[in-house]
Amino acid sequence: MTIRVLDPTFGEEIATTDRVAGLTSLAGRTVGLLDNSKINVQQLLDHVEEILRGQHGVKAVVRLKKPDASRPAPAAVVAEMKGCDAVISAVGD
Amino acid sequence: MTLAQHALRSAVYELADALDANELYQQKGWTDGLPIVPPTEERVRDCLDAAGLTPADVIGVETVRQRSITAEKVAINAVMAGCLPTYMPVVVATLRAMCDEDFNFHGSTASTGGSAQFIVVNGPVRTAIDLNATHGVFGPGHRANATIGRAVRLVLINILGCVPGQLDRSTLGHGGKFTFCIAEDEEDSPWTPLAQERSVSPGASGVTVMACEAPRQVMNEWTHDPEEICETFAAEIRHNMLTYSIWPGNYALVIPKQLRELLVAAGWQKKDIREYIYRSARVFRREWATVGKKNVVARSGGPDQEFTALRSPEDLLVVAAGGPAGGFAAIIPPWLGPRSHAVTRTIAGS
Repeated sequence: MTIRVLDPTFGEEIATTDRVAGLTSLAGRTVGLLDNSKINVQQLLDHVEEILRGQHGVKAVVRLKKPDASRPAPAAVVAEMKGCDAVISAVGD
Repeated sequence: MTLAQHALRSAVYELADALDANELYQQKGWTDGLPIVPPTEERVRDCLDAAGLTPADVIGVETVRQRSITAEKVAINAVMAGCLPTYMPVVVATLRAMCDEDFNFHGSTASTGGSAQFIVVNGPVRTAIDLNATHGVFGPGHRANATIGRAVRLVLINILGCVPGQLDRSTLGHGGKFTFCIAEDEEDSPWTPLAQERSVSPGASGVTVMACEAPRQVMNEWTHDPEEICETFAAEIRHNMLTYSIWPGNYALVIPKQLRELLVAAGWQKKDIREYIYRSARVFRREWATVGKKNVVARSGGPDQEFTALRSPEDLLVVAAGGPAGGFAAIIPPWLGPRSHAVTRTIAGS
């Protein structure tokens, strides 16, 4: 006699969104940098932008800010970031 | 087609017995650390049937993580938590409330602030499922209180990825993250029940959920004056504003029978308590210097900037609960002021 039990986790069988394929290179790409209003994010993202442009050949960087770290980004910010090939949101402390 | 004929889509594990099932779920990190009840198909279907749900019904969507919370997964986690099927409508209503944009699901469950969900149940479902409102109301001893809050936590862990160190970034957290669910003592209080104050119809059951920090117990057994009693509450709120977070938002105030009787004898309703706290629970920015925070006194509006604990009197959730003896009340602070609002929902079918 055995028991049969069910998986409690969010599984692929009920996934509601598809994952996009990762980028193989950043060269010539547009990257979004989202400032979440935490302390010192601006300085951190300045440094990240410098690395992206100088070392990875990123073509364009979109810098946007959300009004506070604790709530989701406003729809307008998300809409503008949709034009990017990749987005980095910072900072998770 | 009856509810029982809808297929379950979750992966199935075949194991020797309940002890092996518990070990597997522990190893996979699918629990809060405590043992679980094995979620067999029969038990999961009993929960779904009790709530009148099919497995694929979507209870809500957490929009930041883009994750649908399906009835099947909620039922599995409710069984694991130890819920009886009759508790399922309360668990479902709580999760629906949390998916309201006002609750700020992602922020409040991911934050370093380490909030829990304070769940207050009103209406006939309380007595139907034996949800405790009196002795040791925040503590152990009642299956419904212990397992409804736990079911919500297991949903957070298993469906939303709120695993400590992953999407739950709590620095400390608190005991309410295991479970924090109470009933209001409507039978022993003349005051309007919380859910009815917040638009649930009289005679219906409702649940209110709030992203909260740990309860702060206060005591005043030395007066019959309603203002003095409420001043003790206000003092604790002011202390929280200074030592934790100054931002205004929903505070919960849980008042036991001994203190309720004095307030009621003086003719005070919940409204009078809310208005007193709104007036009295205020601090000036300069007071931060008294608690080691002088470095930020000059910021923003400067030393004379006044802060209220509540944006309006309605921000205070007054709940009648606790054992019959003792002048002990509790202030339950918000996770982060106005970043998350308490949300109330009617409990379907109860």
